[in-house]
Amino acid sequence: MKKFLTVFLVLMMLIGLISIASASEVGKLLIWCDADRAPVLEEVGKEFTAKYNIPVEVQEVGDPHRRLTTAGPAGEGADLIIGAHDWIGELIENGLLEPISLFTELRSKFVPVSLEAFTYGGKLYGLPYATEAVALFYNKDLVPEPPATFEELITIAKGLTNREKGEYGFLIQMPDPYHSFPLLSATGGYIFGENPDGTANPLDIGLASEGAIRGANLLLRLVQEGIEVPGADYQTVIGLFNEGKLAMMIAGPWTIEGIREAGINYGIAKIPTIDGQVAKPFVGVQGCMVSAFSENKLLTRTFLIDFVATKETMLKLYERANRPPAFLPALEEVSENPDIKGIAISAADGIPMPKIPEMASVWGAWADALELIVNQKLGPEQALKDAVEHMKKAIQGE
Amino acid sequence: MEKPLFSISLKIIFLGILDALAIWSIITIIFDGYYWVGGILSLGVIIINYIFLSERAYPFRYMVPGLIFLVIMVIYPIFYTIYVSFTNYGTGHILNKEQAIEQFENQVYFPKDSVSYTFQAFKNDSGEIKIILFSPEEEAYLCENKKIIVKVDLSDPRFIDQDKDGIIDQFDNYKKLDKIQIIQSLNELQNLRFKKDEYIIKLANLTEFIVCNKKYQFDPSLDRLLDLENGKIYHDIEGYFISEDGERLTPGFRVKIGFKNFTKLIRSPQISGPFLRVFGWTFLWAFLSVITTFALGLTLAIILNDPYMKLRKIYRTLLIIPYSIPGFISCLIWCGLFNTEVGIINRILNNLFQVIIPWLQHPIWAKVAVVVVNLWLGFPYMMIITLGALQSIPFELGEAAAIDGASRWQQFKSITFPLLLVSLAPLLIGSFAFNFNNFNVIYLVTQGRPAIPGAGTPAGATDILISYTYRLAFEGARGNQWGLASAVSLIIFIIIAVISAIGFHYTRALEEVSKNV
Repeated sequence: MKKFLTVFLVLMMLIGLISIASASEVGKLLIWCDADRAPVLEEVGKEFTAKYNIPVEVQEVGDPHRRLTTAGPAGEGADLIIGAHDWIGELIENGLLEPISLFTELRSKFVPVSLEAFTYGGKLYGLPYATEAVALFYNKDLVPEPPATFEELITIAKGLTNREKGEYGFLIQMPDPYHSFPLLSATGGYIFGENPDGTANPLDIGLASEGAIRGANLLLRLVQEGIEVPGADYQTVIGLFNEGKLAMMIAGPWTIEGIREAGINYGIAKIPTIDGQVAKPFVGVQGCMVSAFSENKLLTRTFLIDFVATKETMLKLYERANRPPAFLPALEEVSENPDIKGIAISAADGIPMPKIPEMASVWGAWADALELIVNQKLGPEQALKDAVEHMKKAIQGE
Repeated sequence: MEKPLFSISLKIIFLGILDALAIWSIITIIFDGYYWVGGILSLGVIIINYIFLSERAYPFRYMVPGLIFLVIMVIYPIFYTIYVSFTNYGTGHILNKEQAIEQFENQVYFPKDSVSYTFQAFKNDSGEIKIILFSPEEEAYLCENKKIIVKVDLSDPRFIDQDKDGIIDQFDNYKKLDKIQIIQSLNELQNLRFKKDEYIIKLANLTEFIVCNKKYQFDPSLDRLLDLENGKIYHDIEGYFISEDGERLTPGFRVKIGFKNFTKLIRSPQISGPFLRVFGWTFLWAFLSVITTFALGLTLAIILNDPYMKLRKIYRTLLIIPYSIPGFISCLIWCGLFNTEVGIINRILNNLFQVIIPWLQHPIWAKVAVVVVNLWLGFPYMMIITLGALQSIPFELGEAAAIDGASRWQQFKSITFPLLLVSLAPLLIGSFAFNFNNFNVIYLVTQGRPAIPGAGTPAGATDILISYTYRLAFEGARGNQWGLASAVSLIIFIIIAVISAIGFHYTRALEEVSKNV
């Protein structure tokens, strides 16, 4: 028995080695996406197989772009990955994505900002299917009419906050740059400035600009007025809202399903203006990207153009995502849905999330600065200036 | 000695399968160009065969599986980490140079007078493909892969239009492909290259071929890349092709950069600034983790070891539960319990004593919190090993001491504890080394936070060396800096090795002592 086990283990090891060495297949499409998208693509894949007799395999992969970074050059990557537009900078710098050319007629069927988000160095690298942005989610039972300005919001929130009873008027998850960016952007804060040719300039960071500091001061005011509380992380904020103990929050479309299940009478509105200026959230665009190491580039493109860029597929993808479709024929179909309307109105004011890989140096330091501000360890100006100084050094590789 | 036929045949069958698989995979690997891997694998298979066939190597049969896993899981990663620490592997430098060059050489540009052709594809029975291209002026060209295109007259009887619809259906023994067949043959079609004057013609999309030209040419003798469109020259500088006027081509590639990652660690004030503080906390953290878990585990073990205790088994089972719950889940639950505003711990403290502790916001309380979480996760292990070690201490020693009039405390202090340490000290050192690198607890509970005020320190109050490394390597520059991360992990490895060596040295001293007990 022992011998059997020994030989068995050796065999297993060899099989492992063989699977490492095998190359990606010609004449078969491999797609990596998350669990929400997988059933739709599997269905579309079956249609493709039925028509052309070319197999399509869909694998659920949590972080397809990270997997592609290691698997792609080894010849084991997928042909197609599905994900967010802010991945493309890093992927392109690593030589992992293939540009996709679209006919003008097809281009005109997409929301322009969604194509812009997937454009890098003048070339299109993704076929977008949905846009998303954070917005103001409010509990209609507690706040019948959403506030239009932050002053109104603060008044309403103060009236509804009773920390002894565990009731809260308004929360932003902290320390989270993504959800709090609209506060900083309204008064003129930005991440990267632009070069004359329209590309992002990683050394012009606008997070310590006068506008950003004004936004951060508003954040501090929320803390000082007792509205924003320590320990308001994602789970806490969503949990309180779903229990009906939180009247308003800044959140994204991914929370909608949970809120519906919790039976909350909710509404989605624009983020209130700050000093009369529009709060601009990050806009994220979801789309399909073709690997540079794909053996089936034209086949993948055919799959995308003939089978994914259709009203039916786009509507199926929409049904699983609660996000405004990036494909105009599908968007028109669902634009009366109040959730989609709310998110779409918020996204219309937004700015695409930066996609250059230097963004990696920004998140951590930015979150640290926000934390110091809400914990009242440092003033907004000092915290943001320190953070920007750190980001610049990190970007320059010092 | 007569051997049972069954065992011999089993051995032969399995070695046969193993060898067949090995030969197949070695051939595949070598054809893929991984000569080193193929060589090492062949050597390994030969050794395995020798061990299983030779009587003299019999004892090794029991060691082979362990050795194989040791090589795969331990030795290979160590050498790979060392190798990576001397490269610039990271964002922008993922591909090797050959892959980057291949990508550049596959790029094309379209000349100003570029023409696109519609086409019809034809295939013969042996699967060879020929294409007829139609220029915008309706001229027809017959094309074969890698050959110059030839103008043809379609009225030639060689071209057969069976259904008289003006579209050629067949010529020679080549038959026309319909749209579905074209898609099925797309992978062959996209690799076709035809020549016309100094240009090449390749497939642009499902309906067109296009005239284009190669954009870059690599010159291996001068190690430089030439832009064929505008004559620019790019040199290989630290993993990028860079032109004289500073233009950098994407993607870059992986190159060896010597000790640069290490010198960067020492020279950069960004990195070395918080190093001592982080190192100090890492040491304290590992020390506290071992002491607290061991103290609690030891106490519980001694209580549970008392034969007069009732329901021992139930208590023991209950106390092992924290160990059996996945650490990730426990960490996240604790993170919720410690929530300053809504966490249950602060709710209770507030009700009883009217205090609210900023658990994850205050540097010291955050440190307390991670130690408490680790205590919860770690004490069952200490309890189990202590319970085991207690069994090996002879009962008579305690009895004899009791007769001599020693109190329970004296028995514990002078007999039980020293004897326990002899067998447990190596495990405590192991636990120290483990906690030194206990990324999970830190990252899941605090992410190294709270942040510390001060210009550009990327390290938070609870960051230990390994989580600090993570931040340095993956939250700086342009994302992933695997080269730098490997360099730091090597340094951490050396630190742990030194600490463990000192620890084991003292353990040996303990063993000397135990001989006299």
